[in-house]
Amino acid sequence: MATTKKIALSEEELVNALKRQDTIAIKALYDMYSGALLGVISRIIQQTEVAEDLLQETFIKIWNSAGSYDSSKGRLFTWMMNVARNLSIDKLRSKDFKNSIKNQDIENNVDFIDEQKKVSFNADTLGLKEMVTLLKPEFKDVLDMVYFKGYTHVEAAEELNLPLGTVKTRVRMAILELRKKFN
Amino acid sequence: MEEVKSYIESGILELYVLGQLTAQECIEVEAMVAKYPEVKAELSAIEIALEAYAQENAIVPSAYLEEQILNKFSENTAPLITNAEPKIIPLYEGNNEGTVRKLRYALIACSILLAISLGALFSAHKELNVANDQIANLSSDQQKFTTTVSKLEFEKAGMENRIAMTESEEWTTVKLAGVPTSPNAKMFVYWNKANKNILINYAAMELPKTDEAHEYQLWALVDGKPVSLGVFGQTDKEAVKQMETIQKAQAFAVTIEPMGGSVNPTMEKMVVMGGVSI
Repeated sequence: MATTKKIALSEEELVNALKRQDTIAIKALYDMYSGALLGVISRIIQQTEVAEDLLQETFIKIWNSAGSYDSSKGRLFTWMMNVARNLSIDKLRSKDFKNSIKNQDIENNVDFIDEQKKVSFNADTLGLKEMVTLLKPEFKDVLDMVYFKGYTHVEAAEELNLPLGTVKTRVRMAILELRKKFN
Repeated sequence: MEEVKSYIESGILELYVLGQLTAQECIEVEAMVAKYPEVKAELSAIEIALEAYAQENAIVPSAYLEEQILNKFSENTAPLITNAEPKIIPLYEGNNEGTVRKLRYALIACSILLAISLGALFSAHKELNVANDQIANLSSDQQKFTTTVSKLEFEKAGMENRIAMTESEEWTTVKLAGVPTSPNAKMFVYWNKANKNILINYAAMELPKTDEAHEYQLWALVDGKPVSLGVFGQTDKEAVKQMETIQKAQAFAVTIEPMGGSVNPTMEKMVVMGGVSI
């Protein structure tokens, strides 16, 4: 545990280590993906402490459910990201989380309301917003909702008052833009 | 192939990657992915784009979180991770052996010292016993000498007094001789001519021994009547003892009487007697 050296494994090595329950997998997962997963979680749950607790739960769930991951169905990160997103959305909708939001002191409420009204900029999400802003606004809105805010595409269609087909197309166009940038 | 193209363009793969599909829809997508390599390639491209996108927007967790997670983790899954036993590296590598060797020498040295000390202690104990015996002997000898010396001093004081009495004109020495029941007894009584004091001297008497319930009583015979001059024991603190004074007497006698003396002498217990005239 004391080592500060980062571990990086190929996806195949990582999956094999995870399946045989070798702890090196968890260290490697942490080094390679903790930031990306916390990024996903934090856009659904803003409270740092809660988000970090969820990251911890995410790792435990990944470890415990490793047997159910099937690499023929998709990449490891996609699976892990969905584990993180589902845990975060469950948390967001849970009664105790809603109560804890109500019980926030006034300072936190101000932050929370600011967050909702988009009048302040979180340093962590600044880069993300810039990137998404490069997309056309109609793509940005849709991707924003389904990718960051835990909306289903059906809910997004209702919220934006758009046909479901249009939402699907816009998600696809947004991701195609991202592919141009990254691939 | 037209079917594949329109399937790709429907946007269902993106929704699949975003976790937006029902379980039934997922199974259909997975079947398509398995069937058509183009679909699989498209799916991978979408996944890689979103993964890179997530990496680009990573948020570094708090520094303590890694240890917290990894620790919690090894607690939860301890039985499963025995093959990942951490290697234990001594904090001061190499020094331990030297320290152990030094401690071993120290232990041997301590044991030897302990054995020597015990031997010395035992021998000292024996010598101490011998010394104690000697002290007891010396102390008993010293007591004997003290007794002898005080006895000698007592006798010397008596003898000096007796010489002084004999040489003095002031004192009359009355000799009391043994009676038929105690022929070997004898005693001197000293009578002052001026003030009529009576003294007896333990250095100047040989009387039969008495028991603890009896002592001697000195009598003066005055005109045929016995007058008590006091009692005395076998010995006393002073060699010379003053008795009652008497103005005139024709004779002196000593009887053995019960402790404290008697009013009238017990004549059959008379031991010495002597006449006198001044």
